[in-house]
Amino acid sequence: MLPLPSFALEQPDRLDDVLGMAGQLGVKLVAGGTDLLPSMKHRLFRPSTLVSLSRVRDLAGIRQTEDGGLRIGATTTLREVRRNAAVRTRYPALAQACATVATSTIQAMGTLGGNVMLDTRCIYYNQPAGWRRSIGGCLKSEGKICHVAPKGKGCYATQSSDTVPCLILYGAELELASAHGTRTVAMADLWGDDGRDWLAVDEDEVLTAIVLPPPGAHVVHRKVRARGAIDYGLLLVAVQRHGPGGRAVIGALGPAPVQVESETLEDLPQVAWKASMPLSTHAWSSTWRKHMVRVEVKRAITELDRPHLAGA
Amino acid sequence: MNDDNTKGRRRDRELDPRIAARLAARAARAAREQEQGLERTARDVTDPSTYMGPEDTLSGAPAEGRVIGESGTGKVDGLAKITGRAIFADDIRLPRMAFVKLLRSPHPHARIASLDVSEALAMRGVLDVAVGPDLPVRHGAIPVAQDETALAIEKVRYVGEPVAAVCAVSEEIAWEACRRIKVVYELLDPVLSIDDALSDDKPIIHDWKRKKSNVLRRVHQTYGDVDKAFEDSDLVFEDVYEYPASTHVPLEAHCAVATPLDGGRLQVWSSTQNPHYMHRTLARVLGMDTADIRLIKPDVGAGYGGKCDTFCSDILAAYFARKLGRPVKMAMEREEVFYAHRGRHRTRMWLKMGMKKDGTITAIDFKAWADGGAYSSYGVVTSYYLGVFMPLPYKLEHYRFTSWRLYTNKPPAGPKRGHGAIQPRFALEVHLDRMARQLGLEPADVRLHNMFGPDSITVNGLRITSMGLAECMEQVRAHSGYDRKRGRLGKGRGVGIAASAYMCGALHPVYQTNTPHSGVQVKIDRSGRVTIFTGTADCGQGSNHMVAAIVAERLGIRPEQCTVVEADSDLCPVDLGSYSSRVTFMAGNAALHAADKLRKLLVAAAADKLGVAPDAITCHDGRYEAGERGLSWTDVVELAESTYGTLGATGSYRPPKIGSRFRRQSVGPSPAYSFTAQVAEVTVDEETGIVTVDRVWAAHDLGRTLHREIAEGQIEGCVYMGVGEAMLEEQVYKDGVMRTPSMLEYRVPTIYDTPEIHAILVESHDPEGPYGAKECGEGPQLSTVPAIANAIYDACGIWLTHPPFTPERVLKALRKRDRERARAAAAQAQE
Repeated sequence: MLPLPSFALEQPDRLDDVLGMAGQLGVKLVAGGTDLLPSMKHRLFRPSTLVSLSRVRDLAGIRQTEDGGLRIGATTTLREVRRNAAVRTRYPALAQACATVATSTIQAMGTLGGNVMLDTRCIYYNQPAGWRRSIGGCLKSEGKICHVAPKGKGCYATQSSDTVPCLILYGAELELASAHGTRTVAMADLWGDDGRDWLAVDEDEVLTAIVLPPPGAHVVHRKVRARGAIDYGLLLVAVQRHGPGGRAVIGALGPAPVQVESETLEDLPQVAWKASMPLSTHAWSSTWRKHMVRVEVKRAITELDRPHLAGA
Repeated sequence: MNDDNTKGRRRDRELDPRIAARLAARAARAAREQEQGLERTARDVTDPSTYMGPEDTLSGAPAEGRVIGESGTGKVDGLAKITGRAIFADDIRLPRMAFVKLLRSPHPHARIASLDVSEALAMRGVLDVAVGPDLPVRHGAIPVAQDETALAIEKVRYVGEPVAAVCAVSEEIAWEACRRIKVVYELLDPVLSIDDALSDDKPIIHDWKRKKSNVLRRVHQTYGDVDKAFEDSDLVFEDVYEYPASTHVPLEAHCAVATPLDGGRLQVWSSTQNPHYMHRTLARVLGMDTADIRLIKPDVGAGYGGKCDTFCSDILAAYFARKLGRPVKMAMEREEVFYAHRGRHRTRMWLKMGMKKDGTITAIDFKAWADGGAYSSYGVVTSYYLGVFMPLPYKLEHYRFTSWRLYTNKPPAGPKRGHGAIQPRFALEVHLDRMARQLGLEPADVRLHNMFGPDSITVNGLRITSMGLAECMEQVRAHSGYDRKRGRLGKGRGVGIAASAYMCGALHPVYQTNTPHSGVQVKIDRSGRVTIFTGTADCGQGSNHMVAAIVAERLGIRPEQCTVVEADSDLCPVDLGSYSSRVTFMAGNAALHAADKLRKLLVAAAADKLGVAPDAITCHDGRYEAGERGLSWTDVVELAESTYGTLGATGSYRPPKIGSRFRRQSVGPSPAYSFTAQVAEVTVDEETGIVTVDRVWAAHDLGRTLHREIAEGQIEGCVYMGVGEAMLEEQVYKDGVMRTPSMLEYRVPTIYDTPEIHAILVESHDPEGPYGAKECGEGPQLSTVPAIANAIYDACGIWLTHPPFTPERVLKALRKRDRERARAAAAQAQE
């Protein structure tokens, strides 16, 4: 068996205690642990202390906001989000996105906050330590070159969270707390273009909630994956009407989700296709993934007008 | 899975009149042929002086004991598995147990210039460190190709090859210590492909062979006059096919535990399919007497061929336990299972076939190059299997094949379900469809037209006894609606058919011996409890239930009344192992042999008590009856024990010495062959290239159903693995590094990717199989991939010659099709 390296576990029940430890050297926060623990087994992280968020009350749960939106606590499990009646009826694409995460057991452990904060992924990065040694590591792990773009200076590990594209279209905001206070930022503005440092969130900030404004135009979520379960997306697509045109957010292409708008809905597939530049970050070919951007956006558009069945 | 299969099932209360007719016909033919001096049928070629096994296999006998074929009889070890009570090797925890971890090579081909383990040895908690020269004895699955050591000596030959092993008080300490071992490598030019291996400019990976090359084995066989036959053909067609490398992905990773016993003996538990071969290998590598090693196979979480070899984990656990005098465990990580490999050989094939206008196959010329990785494993056998099964279900007078099994700097390939036969079967069955369509013939009819019947001899001298492929074809066409559907399902949907054959156990073991291939010992306690001691290795396929069912059937009791003690070298007779689909046929016969001896005593005792002749006694459901009167099982046991003493018997099976015209044909002959026909139904999305396998019907001639659910489960498992190889699985390397050694990225189908599977059981009552049974654990996989490929053609008019049929490959072929159609249309317009 692949041994999990040893670490100290802190399980505070007050948020202030979490904020006191967040950002300290050797400390990592853990919610569901469904991504962090396998990565620790791969020695991608060697935290000396894990601070668990599971006992902090107020971090979990879904409630209505005064303006008619929803506030989803960061440690609310994907299963709770997926099953929540308000989410299913008013933000159905989010319920669907949660239902496509890995498997139902992982949805029962994994949290929405963890999913939003998910590390970027790459076939040269998410591998066991010995394997990485055989290629000399990569920019995001122990090495000096990116195997996806060896001449480039950046890391192209991909945004892989299933919920992010639709949350961006719903206009979601993240509520971030730190010892210095709390701020709320729009998700659309958070992503950067380097897979090592892809989120404009500071080390000492803790995601406490995902805040959704009242629902606007209908959002369609689609995920392309090799198999019917377990797999991360080869492509994530969220599409929405925007005036006479449309908006699309395409995930799993690079460190940041690709956000595009078009003046007419018919142009959207072509606009999205042009803006998409998948690289060989996945086991399946980037040429095919690029081809699929157009197909999937087109198919998502045809679903926009279909009577909707929420959640899975 | 649905009601469709009920037609394929038979109740066995009485001898089916169709089977009775077939058996009679077979006997008549045998008599006729004997008159003509033809040595053809089973009995004639059996040398009675060497044959070991039951006097009567009861081929077509009614299941008097009401166990055989019965549905709803729980698997004897089923409940333990699903409740978690079953003990797998990694469940074994012993006091003071230490753990082994490995340092593995990061290079595909390199010389080990220096190795410094001092820092690792000095770590607190580290007990010992081993390097290659500590275990210098070479081993390997096949005696003529012993090229492997537990840890690399002097050279590393693939990325992931074990270089040094640390034994420590915890897995984590051992893991950390491995990282402190310093190795200096001198890099060598790696041999990474079939072309590399055939090139004269590449270094030679192994120096043990007399002739210096990267060809482990080349096999060439010719039957008839192939070139002449091509000249006489109406259509000759050739193409190249590529079959990808894939691996088994058993749920349980390989694991071994070893502990010292009194008197310098050693006890080893290993998750293996072949405990007997491992027993011998361990003794040789460790310099011990086999009698000093007690080898136990605990419950095993599947193998599919991946656990046939002896692995570094087995050798190292035993080595350290012996050296340190304490229990030692080595459990592989999932990544390490991918490096242990022994999976499907990547194979390039060139196939040329001739046909007459009416579809008669005139000749086959075949070449295959198999990328075998860094060690031989069962590779010598693979090189034969690539060619010898090709002529199996079809009449063929002119056949020629050459195969090469090559060394490359990759993890060693080996026996994966359908070993060596999967790749040529894919090429042949797709090729047949292509030629049939070129001639405007129905592909299924062309198969039927070329098929041989029961009791025949193939062009390369394989003896066929029972043969139910015609019925398989008939059933699978009827159940699937193939004839109604082909070419008529509309755009993007299609059906395809394929047929195949497989062996029921290799006629020769890997080492030369006259001892039995299978031994079973049965003991009856005074309480009536029956204990069966067998060397078979149940790895989930159900061999424990199989021996219990055969013994129970013969003794007239229920399988639940039997305890099966398996695969413990101190307790059980030898069985060669779970490979080459041999267990039901060979161990089943040994079990029948042992049970039959006891039945004679029990029946005699009962007949004596009831005052009737022994023939008047019937045995079923724990009752020995003669008409109205009867005795209970425990009464009969007591009577028999009183008369004859302690009740116990052994049974053996050694296959008959089957003569062949061809002396060189030592790999391929089997006491029987199983046959399969399959139909796949697919949907192709032409916009995305995504193919969905909607349904598969698989009709398999398993001789006789011993347990319906287990047999259907095996067929479903075969189809499932075939779908994986057709649609998803391919091991890709970049600069010698396996790209996806994980279950997340090496994708086996989930339940959502698995089609609706209809398993249809066809019974041909093999004259030598136990109760007429043959294999059903490997054969049904052979025809899945070609059936899917043929269905894709039916759906959208493209021939795919390189599985898996990924969306990218499908799109590429569709574009080519469109270009060709446009060109044809333009040409027509010009005319």
